[in-house]
Amino acid sequence: MAKQIITLTVNGDEHELAVAPYQTLLEVLRDELDLIGTKRGCTAGSCGVCTVNGEQGEAVLSCCTLAVDWNGRSVTTVEGVQEGTELHPIQKKFLEHGAVQCGFCTPGLVMSAKALLDVNTSPTERDINEAMAGAICRCTGHIKVKIAIREAAKALREREGAG
Amino acid sequence: MQLPEFEYIRPKSLAEGLQALAEHGPDAQIMSGGSDLLINMKFRLDTPKYLVSFNDVAELKAMETLPDGGMQIGAGCTLTQLAGSGELEDKYPALHDAVFSVGSKHVRNAATIGGNICLDTRCWYTNQSEHWRETRDGCFKTDTEECHVIKTAAKCHAINSSDSAPALMVLGATVVLASAKGERELPIVEFYNDDGVDHTVMQPGEFLARVLIPPPTGRSIYAKLAQRDGLDFASGTFAAGIVGSNESPESVCLVMGSVGPAPKVLDKSIEIIMGQGLNDDTIEAAALAARASLGEVTNLFTPSGYKRRLVKALVKDALNELRDKEA
Ligand SMILES: Cc1cc2nc3c(=O)[nH]c(=O)nc-3n(C[C@H](O)[C@H](O)[C@H](O)COP(=O)(O)OP(=O)(O)OC[C@H]3O[C@@H](n4cnc5c(N)ncnc54)[C@H](O)[C@@H]3O)c2cc1C
Ligand code: FES
Ligand code: FES
Repeated sequence: MAKQIITLTVNGDEHELAVAPYQTLLEVLRDELDLIGTKRGCTAGSCGVCTVNGEQGEAVLSCCTLAVDWNGRSVTTVEGVQEGTELHPIQKKFLEHGAVQCGFCTPGLVMSAKALLDVNTSPTERDINEAMAGAICRCTGHIKVKIAIREAAKALREREGAG
Repeated sequence: MQLPEFEYIRPKSLAEGLQALAEHGPDAQIMSGGSDLLINMKFRLDTPKYLVSFNDVAELKAMETLPDGGMQIGAGCTLTQLAGSGELEDKYPALHDAVFSVGSKHVRNAATIGGNICLDTRCWYTNQSEHWRETRDGCFKTDTEECHVIKTAAKCHAINSSDSAPALMVLGATVVLASAKGERELPIVEFYNDDGVDHTVMQPGEFLARVLIPPPTGRSIYAKLAQRDGLDFASGTFAAGIVGSNESPESVCLVMGSVGPAPKVLDKSIEIIMGQGLNDDTIEAAALAARASLGEVTNLFTPSGYKRRLVKALVKDALNELRDKEA
């Protein structure tokens, strides 16, 4: 099956890649670009560990997305979240509040939370539940995750206020 | 799981895409958001030679208000787009709540209304990996004339879990099917077949291009029960619409979803409410009639006895809520 040359921008870096139509975005990120922060879980849309952010910052399940459909577009993965040498407030708060145990779900949770907080730094409980329902953690339960997200929202609001 | 090989066609216009569908017939399959199809392909339940995506066709992504106050929704509109529309929420709360209940935000970002309406039926035995399926014989969906859910069945009992379907039915929506030969429009109540394998009236070469919803005339509601609020397909759904007063309604439509291969119009329950209005007694009677009308229920995803009890509760609660709703 003929491969197609696509241009894919990941975390600001442009890549030219030869991909087959049946390769998912997840496979290209992990297996071609060695960006293994994005995890491979159910590969069937129901766990959220493969979440990356699309061009509008939206949550995208990379396991259910054809890489060729992202020709000419850009994605952000967990490797692109930190700000220079500093962790992003979401990452900081996950650490601070112990919202991580084995850590396997963490990239997907961080990217799902970022999709929310990028457009809404004053989320209600319902907004958080809605944004996070598709990303599952098997270890921590979601209490600490939600605390971390609320605290990250607060940090982001303070930063907006200061800026 | 990895996808099987296929050739990918991404037409630039609707006409070009319809031509590709005509050319490849049953060898081609349509992909919209892929949130269901790609998974079925990973399971090797679908192995199309050609996959045709209409995602580059801008006209399919538009939602418009019609001159009469109704709405036209392009098949390519995402469920996130629909759930975020204030107009849709105001005019058609049942549809808004139905699409908002699908999967998760992640899924809704990719999922389209066209794909939701055409969503393939699902079964606990078949919607599994190839490896899992090898542990037993095939079924109607694969290569054997047999149903693992209802052993005596002469057809496939896989369930239609589309959340938008029951809502669109009570709203009196129509769908436009386009093919290289032209278009046909039909009421969505005539769109589904009560057969899990051949679950819609669509023919090879046809593409569901848009949905038309008449102007809102009454009140509507959508209720869904699933194991979890997020991510899960429903164990049972119910959509209800009423035009006119509770005491003497002008028209009533009640539809049950996720209980069989096609959404089920509850004729007996409708008759009760049309005859005597919406009150405590008729709500109880309509709920009982809904349960009785279920007929053969599959024990898919939840035991059939549980499903029968669920139906009654779902219908009763939703009709009580509908009665108190303002027009
Ligand atoms: C974790 C998870 C949870 C889910 N939960 C729900 C749920 O609660 N409720 C629910 O209803 N669905 C659910 N889904 C299924 C699916 O995501 C949605 O139904 C979605 O709306 C399908 O739309 P799509 O555009 O992704 O369709 P696709 O996957 O692209 O296509 C689905 C089917 O429809 C056909 N098709 C697509 N578009 C058209 C068209 N325009 N004309 C003709 N045929 C077409 C395809 O060939 C395919 O057979 C869930 C999926 C996942 C992964
Ligand atoms: S790996 Fe993508 S949702 Fe589970
Ligand atoms: S920390 Fe282990 S799955 Fe979430």
